[in-house]
Amino acid sequence: MKVTLNPECAVRKLSDCEDGNDQGPGLKLDRRHLIKMGAASVFATLLPIRPLQAQSEPQSCAPAIPQNHAPSNGGSCPYPIPWLDKNGNHNQSPMPNVELSNIYHFKGKLARCNGFHGMGTDNKGNRLAWGNPTTDYSYMAGEYWAARQTHQAIFAHT
Amino acid sequence: MTPVPDTGLTFTADNKIATLQMTNVPIIDQPRWPAMDAETTPAFMDFKLVFKATDQPVKYEDAARQYRFEGFKATAQLEAAFRVPSIDFSFKTDPLETSSCDFAVMGSGVNGKYYEAVKSS
Repeated sequence: MKVTLNPECAVRKLSDCEDGNDQGPGLKLDRRHLIKMGAASVFATLLPIRPLQAQSEPQSCAPAIPQNHAPSNGGSCPYPIPWLDKNGNHNQSPMPNVELSNIYHFKGKLARCNGFHGMGTDNKGNRLAWGNPTTDYSYMAGEYWAARQTHQAIFAHT
Repeated sequence: MTPVPDTGLTFTADNKIATLQMTNVPIIDQPRWPAMDAETTPAFMDFKLVFKATDQPVKYEDAARQYRFEGFKATAQLEAAFRVPSIDFSFKTDPLETSSCDFAVMGSGVNGKYYEAVKSS
């Protein structure tokens, strides 16, 4: 998911504001005002999972090394969708007739959305447009299967 | 993906409106994405996202890939604030009701090992 902040988008069509490397001659000198907020909560970076506002050190979902010859059943990280890049920010955009979940072996509540449009203000008072076709949010709330057992969890793709 | 506290996702009694609200979510500012060498800067965001289901049902299913989604087309609106402390940058969107999105659905999904076990409604 990416949120794109681009003041030029305020006066141009959204299609003119697709991602690029922004190194063209039209780039304003104040690069900070052209910041693109690549808010990539990357699926692969579930290693380690980081609970928000956690009060204690987060536990890793990576497979533990078994002690005393105990069986090894893998880690509790959710499986990525097999045919998609496990990095959430490279996954397909939500649209009809595609897999909308970011987790394989999942059942539960699910919502996806993308293509946001809106305006906002930065800390210098500049009015900026935000959103592009890949500004993509989701929630998944339910059960997933990992480490040979079920887990209950809520995840967001932001 | 980011784990969400139980209190972060709420539904109305009829399950037609979902609100996802989180604060201080660690994110990255990556202006040159998707360039392979795009540098990143730690950032944080607060956001409130509201889905509202319409009465238009949708069902997306692919037996070969073992996924099924059943739900409704929806609207989604977002209000958010972003902070990039290292460059003293922050941005706040206008109020929730001023935003819009092109595509949104909400419902339930099954895939993988659950695909056959959970029957379609």
